[in-house]
Amino acid sequence: MRVLRALVQIAFLAGTVALMVRGLAGLTPNTCEAYCPFGGVAALFPLARYGQYTCRLTELNVSLMVSVFVLTIATKKSFCSWVCPFGTVSEWLSRAGRKVVGRSFHLPDRPDRLAMNLRYVVLVGALALTWTVWKGDLGFRAYDPFYILFTWGGHGTAAFSFYILFAILAAAVLVPFFWCRYLCPLGAVMDPLSRYGGLRIRRNPEACTDCRECDRVCPHQIPISQEIEVTARNCTNCLECVVECPEKGALELSCYGK
Amino acid sequence: MRKVIIIPTAIAVLVVAAFATANLYRVPTLVFPFEVERPAEVRSVEYIVEGVRCRGTSMGFVKMTAEIPGMISVTTYARNNSAIVEYDPTLTDPDSIREAFEALVEREGVRYQYFRALSQRDID
Repeated sequence: MRVLRALVQIAFLAGTVALMVRGLAGLTPNTCEAYCPFGGVAALFPLARYGQYTCRLTELNVSLMVSVFVLTIATKKSFCSWVCPFGTVSEWLSRAGRKVVGRSFHLPDRPDRLAMNLRYVVLVGALALTWTVWKGDLGFRAYDPFYILFTWGGHGTAAFSFYILFAILAAAVLVPFFWCRYLCPLGAVMDPLSRYGGLRIRRNPEACTDCRECDRVCPHQIPISQEIEVTARNCTNCLECVVECPEKGALELSCYGK
Repeated sequence: MRKVIIIPTAIAVLVVAAFATANLYRVPTLVFPFEVERPAEVRSVEYIVEGVRCRGTSMGFVKMTAEIPGMISVTTYARNNSAIVEYDPTLTDPDSIREAFEALVEREGVRYQYFRALSQRDID
């Protein structure tokens, strides 16, 4: 399972890096933002109001946004742990951090739950500014670590953008999925859909020995050992819990309860 | 755990679906009607323009052509770098429009060419 997921992650990351290299070499005017599903969200208001796009957004952003929403309804937030190149980089950094520092850091439960709501603040702020102050320009680019990293300071970024990027990457070394967990606006949009995701981890209480290994390895701190079916909005179906579970059949993927 | 294959399969299907559906419809990046009275005869020409990449550059294209008499509207599509121009054939023609947007622009002592037509075709 791990190998399969790693292969999919590498494929999408390699595609994004190839696009970045082509862009830096001046071989294509396209950047990663042409394939960003959040661009579809940013395009919704000008599309509905004026029938025109914002900045460099196109039909592809809207179609990819719809695809990501359908994927989330079908498989929860698997986009985050299987596809998103920034999620992949964050995951690898946190693994490296755990090896170097010996542990990863988590906020206590209550502050953690509160901090997760920052994603909604980022979402509302990014969309409101795009649609008002920036007047259709994607001003959020200067603050978007995905865009800054995979264009390496593309159009619209500034020196401070790199400070933001390095701060977020440094935070990801210590706190797993720092950006994804606390700040990603696309994650915030996916939250309500993820709750109803059809493909979920299911725990069989008869086979489970309550060793809580699943709770320990979950990068999103979901208390899997206390659930029968994982409905948590932040489950990305990374399947770490299933891989690490020592009891055969205690944790399995279920598709709409089957 | 054979169900795990559902995830990469769904990803593959939805990525292909996204690229396929994106080609089924076309929404303009910019629609800019000039403030002129619509003449009796209007013709359209489509240019594929290197430099028309977004809404900002589309506005630049409009600025370059705004002074030409007979311009009626500009509609751009950033995805394929297309600019469709409606014009009054009694006042201008596609070659004059092309000449206008391909003109060099001086900025801080340096001359730049922001737009270059890669192709041009009349639309009936």
